[in-house]
Amino acid sequence: MRSVPRSVERLIEELNRLPGIGPKTASRLTFYLLRSPQEQVQALARAIGEMHEMVVTCSVCFNIAETSPCPICDDSQRDRTMLCVVEEPLDVLAIERIRQYDGLYHVLHGAISPIEGMGPEDLKIAELVERLGKNPVEEVILATNPSLEGESTAMYVSRQLATLGIRVTRLAQGLPMGGDLEYADEVTLTRALEGRREI
Amino acid sequence: MHLAHLSITNFRNYVRCELDFSSPITIVQGANAQGKTNLLEAVYYLAAAESPRARSDRELINWLANEEQPPFARLEGRIEGSDAVREVSIALVNASDRLQKEIRVNGVKRRTLDLVGQMKVVLFMPEDIDLIAGSPKARRGYLDSAISQMERPYARSLHEYNRVLLQRNSLLRQLRDRPSGTHQLDFWDQRLIEEGSQLIASRLNTVAQLDELVQEIHTRLTGGEERLRLIYRCSLPLEGPEGLIQYRQLPLGGASGDGTSLAEALPSSADVSTVFRQQLAERQREEIDRGMTLVGPHRDDLRFLVGGVDMCTYGSRGQQRTIAVSLKLAEMDLIRSRTGEEPILLLDDVMSELDEDRRRYLMAAMHRDQQAIITTTDLHCFTASFLEQATVWGVQDGRIGRLA
Repeated sequence: MRSVPRSVERLIEELNRLPGIGPKTASRLTFYLLRSPQEQVQALARAIGEMHEMVVTCSVCFNIAETSPCPICDDSQRDRTMLCVVEEPLDVLAIERIRQYDGLYHVLHGAISPIEGMGPEDLKIAELVERLGKNPVEEVILATNPSLEGESTAMYVSRQLATLGIRVTRLAQGLPMGGDLEYADEVTLTRALEGRREI
Repeated sequence: MHLAHLSITNFRNYVRCELDFSSPITIVQGANAQGKTNLLEAVYYLAAAESPRARSDRELINWLANEEQPPFARLEGRIEGSDAVREVSIALVNASDRLQKEIRVNGVKRRTLDLVGQMKVVLFMPEDIDLIAGSPKARRGYLDSAISQMERPYARSLHEYNRVLLQRNSLLRQLRDRPSGTHQLDFWDQRLIEEGSQLIASRLNTVAQLDELVQEIHTRLTGGEERLRLIYRCSLPLEGPEGLIQYRQLPLGGASGDGTSLAEALPSSADVSTVFRQQLAERQREEIDRGMTLVGPHRDDLRFLVGGVDMCTYGSRGQQRTIAVSLKLAEMDLIRSRTGEEPILLLDDVMSELDEDRRRYLMAAMHRDQQAIITTTDLHCFTASFLEQATVWGVQDGRIGRLA
């Protein structure tokens, strides 16, 4: 005997597969949708369906977009002498939000991590080298995460670019803004001291 | 350093227990399986955030507490140090799928790395004989936790080193199947050398200091019969053929020249990293074939020599037990001289295993102002004068009370 209809159970199972959603949240969302007006539910279903149909990876920078090349790569106003290399599409969003950088991007889709079986060939590194060979820039900014894996990726990429004669820089590391010196951990403080600069 | 108050909830066989440690020496007497070791384990856990004997932290939660939702264990301590009073607490919560460990120092959530070293303890239990007789891994683990208590950067380097090692071994195995791309090793090699050299240099320094301290202790403990030397056996050829001979020829018996030459003679982390780099380059082929990192602090060992004979292999049980006592007493002295704090001594039923002379020596070795928590089945192990200055408690079935 089944206590909830099969179709309701199916939606709960599907929602449960999403990151950060457990069985309880999944049932709560399902029953919320059950009570929602028809149009609203239809809109949600369409949005999910269309997202997959519409979204493509940009053939130049490998960011997610609805067109290829993406609006950033296509924008003639942007500075074509600078290229920022990031791990994930979300990192592009983070950098775009600050409105200080108007160069181009390259999304690697991950970082080198041998434990997870992620090698350089699983990332868009060969594509980056090829891209820079065709359209050289003046500076490449490596904006991978300051984690062990991100550092490893940055070092690997910088080695690959060494032969191209392009200036390669790495994002600064150190104290967060509004932070307190007293509470910074040793590694962060060491990095901040190493990366100090004239004012 | 003094643990003034300890509060235990659902830890091992304790359901709820509040203890005030008023005098420096506390003796806890009880029959077997009443909770003597569990009490010392609780204190040690609060200092190191790891158990000296449990394989999983889940074991630590009182099994009666499993009926509560969710099951949890909690330890709280008030530590009076030379400079400040600190409140530390650890809560273990057995959530549906994983065990959560929440550490707080003065009420603020902290990482394990921040907790270790807040309270310095030296634990001695009968199993410690395995330090001498057991595997190199146990001896490395001993050195690691001993140094982590004294040097904060050490614990961090160790954590980082282990992560790099895991990634590097994984990469070596991938390279075995796909030999191209050995340049991917460059980054991991560099990080392995950076952290590994720090670890080895710290260990060499600590072992040299322990070696010096243990000389006098062990000589007195054995009535002048044995002279003990500690040797750090490194997987890297740090000494070279000539160096090794020189080391062996150091005069036995504490007189290693004047004390200052000792530190200068030791290789620095820069020296270590040069040798480390050479070794990784030389042995890359072999490492890829075997799919693992063959040199580094994770392959080193600590050995104990008496009259040039390796006690790990050839020592009698009695000799090994005495060496373990000497080692712990030397560690206590080292913590005192390096950090300026009196470590808390935890002795688990050790007295009954020692003969009369060694017992007396051990009791005499405790400083007047040093805190010690000692468990025993039999109060006759102690001298009358020692019992007089101690607070004596009895433990029965997870409950502790003052003995008349």
